[in-house]
Amino acid sequence: MPNASAEQLNHILAFLRQKRSADVTFSDVAGLAEIAVQSLQSFFTQLDASVYRELRDIAAYIEAMKQEIAALQVNELKDNRIPAAGHELGAIVKATEQATNDIMQCAEELMEADAKDPAAYKALVDAKMLVIFEACSFQDLTGQRIAKVVETLEHIESRVARFATAVRVEEAAVLMSEREIAEVERKRRLLLHGPQAEGKGIGQNDIDQLFA
Amino acid sequence: MAVDLTMPVLVVDDYNTMIRILRNLLKQLGFDDIDDAADGSAALSKMREKRYGLVISDWNMEPMTGYELLKEVRSDPNLSRTPFIMVTAESKTENVIAAKKAGVNNYIVKPFNAQTLKSKIEAVFADG
Repeated sequence: MPNASAEQLNHILAFLRQKRSADVTFSDVAGLAEIAVQSLQSFFTQLDASVYRELRDIAAYIEAMKQEIAALQVNELKDNRIPAAGHELGAIVKATEQATNDIMQCAEELMEADAKDPAAYKALVDAKMLVIFEACSFQDLTGQRIAKVVETLEHIESRVARFATAVRVEEAAVLMSEREIAEVERKRRLLLHGPQAEGKGIGQNDIDQLFA
Repeated sequence: MAVDLTMPVLVVDDYNTMIRILRNLLKQLGFDDIDDAADGSAALSKMREKRYGLVISDWNMEPMTGYELLKEVRSDPNLSRTPFIMVTAESKTENVIAAKKAGVNNYIVKPFNAQTLKSKIEAVFADG
């Protein structure tokens, strides 16, 4: 009972020191109970204030979190920016695929062309070269689309970084679904790392050394 | 040992464009009998129906990867001697070592050029 007053404790001590265990009266018990109640009242009064302060701090923290979460603009990210970035990436894949097919088609037609008639062959080469130049224009558009995706990633990065700072987040174990765990395990078991960044992977010359 | 340009070649890749590139490069090198498959299991089925003189496979495919295909081929007595070249973007040393340990004959890292493909095919048959 840490918050009982010194006076109340002295009353209890004095009673106990009298060692009247054999002839304790109802009045003694009532008196002791009164002192105990007074002590507890003081304790609970102070406890109430302490709990109130804690709850007020928690409420303020929750309010601050709500503001930080609102600042994340989760719905805007989820409903607009991320789907838009997905569409841009889809369009990039489609454009590069189309350009590759166009260029490959030209190359295949030139490979199969009959070069016996030089004039006709040159006309064919000129025509196909034009198609190849046109196909290469995809790079300008995809460059602009990639810039938009990068802008979205930067937007998300800045908001997540601000949120992490505001909540003083600590790294915890990543929560993954069973499907994600299975995929990670498959990649680990089958050595599926994907293309490496420039300078990170082993080069063809080094590979050749391993097979020499 | 000279490369037999009449032998059937199986190209395994889940990316149509890469199959098309390899087909064209192989045609340029003089090969004519070229088949393709989109993953390891489809390749294995084809290999059990037709005897191929060379398999050129990507690593990262689903459901069966090129690495799994290589191990299946090497463990099948009817297929185990088929020359196998891995052509992949997987360029970590552990991948190359694992493939070599599993019995790959050569390893080409993407992106590659026609000369690299030609020299690796020649090296495989020079060794054989």
